[in-house]
This record gives sequence, C-alpha cells and structure tokens, in this order.
Amino acid sequence: MTSNEGNFIKRLQRQKEDALEFVVDTYLPIIKGITYKVLIPLNDQGVIDECINDIFLSIWNNSKKFKGDSTDFRKWICTIAKFKAIDYYRKASKEVEFSSEHMDMNADLSAEDELILLEDRTELIKLINQLEPVDREIFIMKFFLGLKTEEIAKKLALTNTSIDNRVYRGKKKLYQKVTTLELGESRI
Amino acid sequence: MKDIYELLNDVNVDDHEFEEMTVTEFEKAKVKSALKKSISKKNKRRGWKMNVAAAALVVGLSTVTIGLTFPAYAGNIPIIGDIFRFLDNEKTGLYDNYKEYSTEMNLTQDSNGIKITINDAVFDGETVAITYSIESDRDLGEAPSTLHLGSADIKGATGAAGSSHVTKVDDYHYVGLDKITPFGLTSDMADINWKIRSILRTDTGEKIKGNWKFAFSLPAIDSQFQLTNQSVEKNGVTVNIEKVAFTPMSFIVHYNQKATQEVQDKWHEAYIELEIKDDLGNVYTGEGNGGSGKDAYTISWSKTFEKLDPNATKLIVTPHVTFRIHDETNSGGVEITADGKEKEISIPVKSGVGREEFIMDDIVIELEK
Repeated sequence: MTSNEGNFIKRLQRQKEDALEFVVDTYLPIIKGITYKVLIPLNDQGVIDECINDIFLSIWNNSKKFKGDSTDFRKWICTIAKFKAIDYYRKASKEVEFSSEHMDMNADLSAEDELILLEDRTELIKLINQLEPVDREIFIMKFFLGLKTEEIAKKLALTNTSIDNRVYRGKKKLYQKVTTLELGESRI
Repeated sequence: MKDIYELLNDVNVDDHEFEEMTVTEFEKAKVKSALKKSISKKNKRRGWKMNVAAAALVVGLSTVTIGLTFPAYAGNIPIIGDIFRFLDNEKTGLYDNYKEYSTEMNLTQDSNGIKITINDAVFDGETVAITYSIESDRDLGEAPSTLHLGSADIKGATGAAGSSHVTKVDDYHYVGLDKITPFGLTSDMADINWKIRSILRTDTGEKIKGNWKFAFSLPAIDSQFQLTNQSVEKNGVTVNIEKVAFTPMSFIVHYNQKATQEVQDKWHEAYIELEIKDDLGNVYTGEGNGGSGKDAYTISWSKTFEKLDPNATKLIVTPHVTFRIHDETNSGGVEITADGKEKEISIPVKSGVGREEFIMDDIVIELEK
C-alpha cells in the first residue's frame, strides 16, 4: 500500500515512511519557495538545506498534532516552513559578527525582537497560550510568521490600529505575567 | 497547553501568497535521504520488537519462498521513491505514470558488501521494466554497470532486447532502471530470473564480484489492443503500423518496415523513426524497444510512448526515414560460428553515398473508444 492524496495524512500520522516521501514529493516546491524567500539574504546554501530538512522532520515528528484535510495540511506546513525559516534567519543573523560601522543596526532592535531573541521558545509559547484566541493568532502571525500589521489586519478583517492595540495590550499582559513569576519559576 | 505546531494549526494563512520553486528529482532524493537518516536514528531503540516479529514471520514464510529475501525490516524507505521519474529526470515524461502501475517488489540481496534491492517492476505486455537501488560500502564510480554479464532472463522468450541505466545518487547509493523486451513470449506472465555475478565500474574497469539472484513473476498489466494495419510507402520503403496497445501508463506502437530490392542494393540500412502527435496537438515522446526480422530491411519493431491524452481521438504518425551506408567507422560485427570461432563480417559494397533522409506521409489512426 502506498500513500496518495486521499490517505497520506492518516498514514503520516501513523508514522508510515512512504507518507513522508509523498509529502516531500508533493510539497517540496512550496517549502523550497518559502525557505528561499526568507533565507536567501544569508547567502548560505547549507543553512537553507538544513532548514528544509528540519521542516520536513518537524512535520513528521508533529504530524499527530495536525487536524484537518489536505487543504488545511498545505496551510499548516506552509506556516511551519515560514516559522522555521524565520527562526533559522534569526539564529543565523545573530551569529553574524557585526563590524563596527554596522553596530548601530545591532543596537536598534525593537522590544519584541529582543523578546524573541532572548526568549527560550517554550516559555514564550506557554505565555502565548494564556492570551485570548484572537490575540494568540495575531501574536503568532506577527512574531513567528513575520507578518506585517497591515497583512494581519486584512486577514482578520480588523483595522491596523486595533491590531496594534491588541499587540500592545497583549505584550503588557505578557510582561505582567513574566514579572509576577515567583522565584524558581520559569522566567525570561 | 498547545505547542507551536498546534497553535499554527489554528492560524489561517493564505497559502497562495507563497511561491513555489521548481524542484528536481535529485533534490527530492537528497531531502528524503537526509530524512531517512534522521528518522532511522530515532527509531532504532524501539525497533527490536518489530524485528523479532518480522524475523518470526520470515521463518514462517521461508519454506515457501526459497530464493527470495525479505528486506531487513518493513517500511524500508527506498533511497528514491520514484526511480522511473528520477532517471528520466523529468525530461521526457515517458515514465511519469510508471510508478503508479508497477508492483512494489522490495527484494534485497546482499553480497560482498553491496546490497541490491529491486524496488519496482512492471510488465506492460511488451517490456519488463525493473527499478533497483544499490547500497554499497565503497565507491562504484559515476555509472556502474550490472549488465555486462547479461541482463535478466525471461522464461519462454526466444530472444530479447534491452537497456540498462544506473546513476549515482550520493556516495555509495545508486539507482538503476533495466528494461527488457522479450521476443516470442506467448504468455501474459513474465517469469524473470536475474542473476548478477559482478558489478562493473565503468570508469576504472574494476569488477566487483558477488552473487545477487532474483526470481519473480509479473503479470502483464491490462492493455487494450487496436489493430490498425495502415501503411505508407515512399521511395521504396514501406512502413506498416500493425497495432497499438494502450496501457494505463503508455501506449506501444507495433510496426514493421520493408524495402524494395532497389533500396537494398543501394543502402545498407533504412532506419525509421516515428513521430507521433494527436489531434489535440500533444506530441508524444517515445523510446524504442528494439526489433527483430529476417534481414536488415524487413524488421518488426515496437516503440513505447508516454500516456495517451484521454481526450485524443486521432493519432498522427509521421515516419522519418534515414538511408545509411555502413563503413568501418560506423559499423562492424562478428559472426560466431557453431564451433565457437569468430568471423569478421565484411561490409558488402553498395552504390549509395553517405546518408539520405526524407519524411513520409502521415498515417492517421482513428482511435476506437
């Protein structure tokens, strides 16, 4: 028995390796497109290849967490790809050594960038889980998928201002949670 | 608590905003090979129970399947999923639908540090196509050959034509496609017996001895025949399309050629190439399967073309003819006599010079539906 359009999600969730092959065959073009778009400025083919492999491995390891049909599956793996690629980009650009004339760029990181950079991801996810569903979606789009405020506003049919407000309030809420953590609890 | 993958499941993105990039079969193979490595590392620890079960199963079955080996464990990811397409490299599209209709074999034989696995095989009624992977503990060069000691043998065939193509995937991994067209086979079942005694490194000439034996049977896949018997004649050459066989992944044109005495006196060879398109403007690429006949001018051929467009109602066949003169630079042969001696075949003198090409009138085949 081999995987096809109709059964590959089930087979993937049952950890059948041919389903993973089917996923690579079907979705490598889009995954490659997403990864290249984000990582091409790094000019490092090795990182791109590593990221692509990591994306498929994450799909394989987390397939049970996916719910939906093949249209949803495509969306899901696209978001994973985008999230992973941005993650790789952040990690790689952090490692780049800045020469002195570029030092000011380094100093000018926004608060949320720093939050992400400093943050151990699991803790941030723990915190994001405590937000309202809409805010949660906005945070993921903004910080994990690197979407612009206007794009998020368009998707959720909200105004730019309301997105910014929600981000502001959400951040405040997160900081409160973080600062009220007791000694010995996880903290940023 | 939801983790990032569950959270991403709830995010509604527009996947049309992402652009696809072209991907070669080789890139797919590279990704799969890397994934296979990471996965098998992870799975090793919990694998023993399954192996015991598999071993028990093998013991149970081994009495009936002498000569066959089972892969080391179930779900063995082949290095490349679709070897047919990989080796075609998406150039012709001729093999695009082969994998779908072929039988998964997964027969593995290990010898002298080299593991050969037959992955898929298909018999379209005319040609047996076998894909296989080679996992080696040493470098075998860019294009090793398994063919130099004879290809697979098909029971009941009076002769055969074939081709073999092996390509390197990465260090120590190779994939191959062998095609055998048996002549004179009456059964619609192909009993294949394939013995490989050594692998030849084509770059160094080194031979790696071993013993890999495979035996299996393949039923011919369902195909529909349409008898045509339409012919066209020009400049002393007659081309006759005898029949066309339609399989789910291809169609096979059977044709023969004849030449007048005049042509035979003037030229050594009349070579026919068929160009096929349909009434919708699709051009079909094909690959010759070889042919046989009583002399160099009267030969029955068959040629396999890619899958027919289901909406096509006509096939338009245009034969291209090339007359050739043989000389020492482009031809040569030996005759092996009954007592085993080799005798050089001399090239008879003909009056033609060089080569001549011309195109014949179209043969239009109305497709029966």
